[in-house]
Amino acid sequence: MIRFDVHVAAEGGLHARPAALLVNCAGQYQSRVTLVKDQKQADGKSILGIMTLGASQGDRLTIEIEGADEKQAAAALKELFDKRFES
Amino acid sequence: MLRGLFSRKKQQQEVTLLAPLTGEVVALSEVPDPVFAQKVVGDGTAISPTEGVLVSPLAGSVTHLFPTHHAIALTSESGLEILLHIGIDTVKLKGEGFTPHVKVGDQVKPGDKLISFDLGVLKKAGCPIVTPVVITNGDLVADKRVVSTGSVRAGQEPLMLVVVKGGAS
Repeated sequence: MIRFDVHVAAEGGLHARPAALLVNCAGQYQSRVTLVKDQKQADGKSILGIMTLGASQGDRLTIEIEGADEKQAAAALKELFDKRFES
Repeated sequence: MLRGLFSRKKQQQEVTLLAPLTGEVVALSEVPDPVFAQKVVGDGTAISPTEGVLVSPLAGSVTHLFPTHHAIALTSESGLEILLHIGIDTVKLKGEGFTPHVKVGDQVKPGDKLISFDLGVLKKAGCPIVTPVVITNGDLVADKRVVSTGSVRAGQEPLMLVVVKGGAS
């Protein structure tokens, strides 16, 4: 399992657009992706799950990835957060 | 043969989504935001509203209300997740012009008022007013079709029929 922290820099936090992009990215890998904020967990492949985490701009999240392609998934998700969800 | 058809469909459930807004039905592909137009958020349709009152398209519960009140997610009794996103880029309004009438956890009936909004505020801010109505858990959908075109009235006419896969629940 890979676990790392990310910083939510996207304006407005993880609202519909960033959540959709995150799910789209996570969905390209077989690994299980979990987002953790405080005590709350969300499935990284569920748009509604991510939105209900209520992550705001400036928040820190922990991402846990487990599976055969976890390294590739971690790299792709890190890049997404680094680029503030802008392609 | 009819009997066979019935038993096969018994597991599935058909859900009717009423129009959540009064306005014109617009294809999702015409929404000026690629994450909606390319169905990244989910499949569905959109309405360009002529009145600023969003009502519930179905019976269910409020699963998520954005802190900025520009979008709301509902979960139907059959588990279908619907996201109603008022306008495009409206997250940047930070709640200005939006008045919610429900909170997370509330049970809603078709036609119940969810959010009132000021179309003037959206237009002044340069936000497109077209409002996507999408299913965010499409893996639960066996079949669906948009049944309205042109003008619709909020809470009065069906907008979309969705067949939800059965079994899991």
